[in-house]
Amino acid sequence: MKTLIINGSPKAKNGNTEIFIQEFMKGMKSPCEVRYAARESSQQIAEELKQFDTLIVAMPLYIHAMPGIVMKIFELMEPASDEGKSMGFIVQSGFIESGQSKYLEQYLSSLTERLNYTYLGTVIKGGSAGVYMIPENMNKKLFNQLQNLGGHFELESSFHPDVVKKLASPQMLSKRKARLFQLFYKVGLGDSIFWRMLLKKNQAWGKKFDRPFADKRG
Amino acid sequence: MKRLVITEYEGFNVPSDYNLDLTKTNIKDCTGCWSCWIKTPGRCIHKDLDTFYKAYLNADKVIIFSRISQGFVSGNLKSLFDRMLPLYLPFITYKTGESMHVPRYAKYPEVEVYYQGEFMNRNDQKIYEDYIHRTFYQFHNKCEVVKPIAEFTMEKI
Repeated sequence: MKTLIINGSPKAKNGNTEIFIQEFMKGMKSPCEVRYAARESSQQIAEELKQFDTLIVAMPLYIHAMPGIVMKIFELMEPASDEGKSMGFIVQSGFIESGQSKYLEQYLSSLTERLNYTYLGTVIKGGSAGVYMIPENMNKKLFNQLQNLGGHFELESSFHPDVVKKLASPQMLSKRKARLFQLFYKVGLGDSIFWRMLLKKNQAWGKKFDRPFADKRG
Repeated sequence: MKRLVITEYEGFNVPSDYNLDLTKTNIKDCTGCWSCWIKTPGRCIHKDLDTFYKAYLNADKVIIFSRISQGFVSGNLKSLFDRMLPLYLPFITYKTGESMHVPRYAKYPEVEVYYQGEFMNRNDQKIYEDYIHRTFYQFHNKCEVVKPIAEFTMEKI
């Protein structure tokens, strides 16, 4: 089985998607080839992926679906002429609920069928915007899960359902949690802390609500 | 009433105050840099959409003629959606019970989408339509019309 991992992040090697891929491959005995959607033309990637039996497309959730650069690769893919090809996906999002990625997941499943590949599933992990900047010990659980996922994938060519389930939690927010998070937002706690820190670091805190393209209605 | 039209296929000349012709324009892809949130709030590092943003926020109604590509929105239109990020704040509100970005502006135009192209089956068509509704719901736009182009008439808009 020859597997290609496509990193679909516009940030290529500098983003959370790359960290996910590296941890996934740490669980493997021999790593896969990785190509970067942001560093090559969509034509080139769509052509070269034909040589692989298995594809894993890893990407951040952008506006409720795949980044534009990933769709540009999908657009160029042709249905596989021979049987036995398979495709799976890893999606990480800033939004905490994995349910936010369900619109994308539905499309990925249908796309795989359209392309005559076998669907290996979609691994979804929410709340990942800060993975690249938080201390390693805070990521330990996530990294272990990704390594387990990679190790299992190398042996079985599938995503381990138990790990997938754990990563996908929470699927939705309970009413209680949503109320609590809303309270945090109101008083500038929770994930607002993260944004305040980044805005201040860039001397942009005072401009955070700027409306540079507003018309008379605001 | 100000109308903005985004076109991905030929044949529909709808009068508009601003027309973004995606058959002739390649939208620059979002780079994921977050500059529009944390460095130059509200402004993208790319400048190709500055006049578009202004016209979009100034419009009462936006009509998108979307070309179905591999059962979904085209990569070019998806890149345009990705580039709407500067119109929202990084902060997240949970008041609807789920995560949603807080709007940067007071008002966003109503959106209608008319699509052209083939789906494998009814389920595929539903995936596309659900995605469009989802996106504009989260974008705080009213969007009730997502229909095949056959159902488009000038009178309806």
